[in-house]
Amino acid sequence: MRIPMRCLFLKIFLAVLLFPRALAASDAAFDGRWRLDPARSTALDGWSTLDLVIQTEGSKVTMRHDLTWHATKVQATNVLDTAGPAAVKNFFRLDQRHMAVYARPKESAQVQASWIDHGRTLRVEAAVPVETSQGNTSMRIYEEYRLQEGEAELMLIELHHTRPRPLVYRFTRVTENAARK
Amino acid sequence: MKRLLFLLAWASGMMAGLRAENISATASRTAWVMHFDGDWRVVGGLPEKALLISLQGLANRTAPRLYIVHPKEYQWEITEPLREFYERKHGVVFTELRTADEALAQFKSAARGYVIWDKAVASSLNVAFTIAGLEDALVVTEDLVPLAERHGLKRIDDLRGRYAGQSDAQIYQDAINRYWARCTRDAVMLMGGQRGAVMVPGMADWGVRQKMFFHDLAANPAIPAELALERKLLSELNPGATVFGWHPYGKDTEEQHTTLLSTYGLKMEGLHNLPNLSFNCQFSFTPGFRFTNHSHVAPDAKLEAKEKVYLSFVQSDSIGIGVWTKPGRGQLPFAWQVTMNWTRFSPAALEYFHESATPNDYFIGGLSGPGYMYPNHIPADKFPLLMKEANELMAQLDEHVLEIMDNSAADGNLGNADLTKETVDRYYAAFPNVIGFVNGYGPARTRDLRGSRPMISYDYYIDPRRPREEVAADLEELIALNPKRPYFLLVHVRESNDVNSLIAVVKQLPGSTEVVPLDEFLKLAASKKTYTTRYQDPEDPKHFKGF
Repeated sequence: MRIPMRCLFLKIFLAVLLFPRALAASDAAFDGRWRLDPARSTALDGWSTLDLVIQTEGSKVTMRHDLTWHATKVQATNVLDTAGPAAVKNFFRLDQRHMAVYARPKESAQVQASWIDHGRTLRVEAAVPVETSQGNTSMRIYEEYRLQEGEAELMLIELHHTRPRPLVYRFTRVTENAARK
Repeated sequence: MKRLLFLLAWASGMMAGLRAENISATASRTAWVMHFDGDWRVVGGLPEKALLISLQGLANRTAPRLYIVHPKEYQWEITEPLREFYERKHGVVFTELRTADEALAQFKSAARGYVIWDKAVASSLNVAFTIAGLEDALVVTEDLVPLAERHGLKRIDDLRGRYAGQSDAQIYQDAINRYWARCTRDAVMLMGGQRGAVMVPGMADWGVRQKMFFHDLAANPAIPAELALERKLLSELNPGATVFGWHPYGKDTEEQHTTLLSTYGLKMEGLHNLPNLSFNCQFSFTPGFRFTNHSHVAPDAKLEAKEKVYLSFVQSDSIGIGVWTKPGRGQLPFAWQVTMNWTRFSPAALEYFHESATPNDYFIGGLSGPGYMYPNHIPADKFPLLMKEANELMAQLDEHVLEIMDNSAADGNLGNADLTKETVDRYYAAFPNVIGFVNGYGPARTRDLRGSRPMISYDYYIDPRRPREEVAADLEELIALNPKRPYFLLVHVRESNDVNSLIAVVKQLPGSTEVVPLDEFLKLAASKKTYTTRYQDPEDPKHFKGF
């Protein structure tokens, strides 16, 4: 298919204009520590608290989950690459821990992450290997991390291909000092 | 209306007749009852309650005389229904005692004197309870001394100042030196639970009556001095002995403590606040009573599972804590884990539960054996004898399913609750007559099928605080993630869930889902094995690595 020259120039111009802006928006706005607001979120199951610590660098997005369950503290990190699909070993999903659905250690999830909405939403799609009582299977997960107006709040909407309801988690930006509290 | 009135009159006449018949079946006896409130603060209601509970242990030494009714909010909800049961089935005529003064006036002859504990040193209360059992003493704070002396009681010991500034290890080392040699070796009282501003030693009457050693030592490797003392106590108990009470909150975990006592082949019987054992233990089953479980299938029945989802609910945590008295029971098939040891310590409670069971209430044995224990840690040479005892108790209770729980590697109600293959082998060998086993507390993944006897772990645990719409979504997701049919979805219902809310949850599930009684569930699970065989994998994560 032939593309008219004028139209092609326009598209290149827009791409050059928007691409760095998207990166810049994500770099600046997503980085930091985000604390779950339980009162405005879907109930966690098997976790008491959750902080998300996000760091972006180039196409990589490092997403650390600081979790507690009573006296137990857990850290789990996913490194996502917005440059293209990737196999991520031991991909962490925020699980409903009273369900007999277990991560399969050492196995990899197929993960695709991308910035959309001019860098204000990080979209993550993952096929996560899990073990259930009938054996090994895979859970398809779709997530959107949406930066809210004012950039002080982050909303995570998560869909599972196996779950009839979305999981909605709202986070508030906190300082690193807050992590010690 | 006239017909209705006639029916009501006829029914009440029948009930009166039944009541008279039951009372006449046993000789009536006199007992006394006190009603406690819910104030267990050290600076509030605890001192008087501790006095009364020690008095109860002494008053009930030779006969069941004093019974305590707790408010509905108390963890053991059945004290009032059970009091009514004693009246109705055992002909007990209770007289109310309203104050500690009245109780002392009635029962002062059961005590030789009093021992003063130090409110500033919480562990001194446990030492005082030990002394109470050995010396027939009441435990009092200094404020209550005038009351005790008004009733002619003399000071036997005074712990004020003796343990000031000492660690729990130092205090209990001293208590062991002084008293352990005279205490029973058939049991020990782990009077843990809440610590600090509130303590709830509801089970102390039993320890006083039986002359047990009281302590709240930690089974925590991070507190080696306490662990060493606890090991000494456990190692010097008689074979088959029982650890009554509960672990001390904040000092160790339930998992650590139960693991430790299991390594000695001992049984746990809790909780620390379980009341009235000194009274309950003195009643047997009523004449002619025989346990008849509401079985839905014959032990040798063979069923064929259809292409659908089978769901079954189990309530553990001992039925006395659970939802038994809450609305809705009987509307769904429920299996109830019975602490089978109660056959010996609290037969009337078991009879009460069986008497009030609906056809949807099915009793199963637990937990793991003749008491609460973690089977992965029971020494091989002690396993057969313990399970022989469990078999005998289950036969008496007409129970055909055993519930197993090993949380030694778990983190509360989460994590690794699996059984090693060796443990599974032992259970199959030790329980040839059960129709199957259920395993776990939180979800677990130990599964097997040998012959017609499946072992199924919980695929889901219902947290009572979890919103019901999320519970329904969780169950739907499990159904979607386990696509083969039949799918056997076993659900553990935590103690304080109410049945009515579960009915609403079940209504939201896909149409091919059927809730079935546990015995039927296991028979169906035996007919078509769509689940994997799995045991604890050495590489599975362990929260507590062991001692």
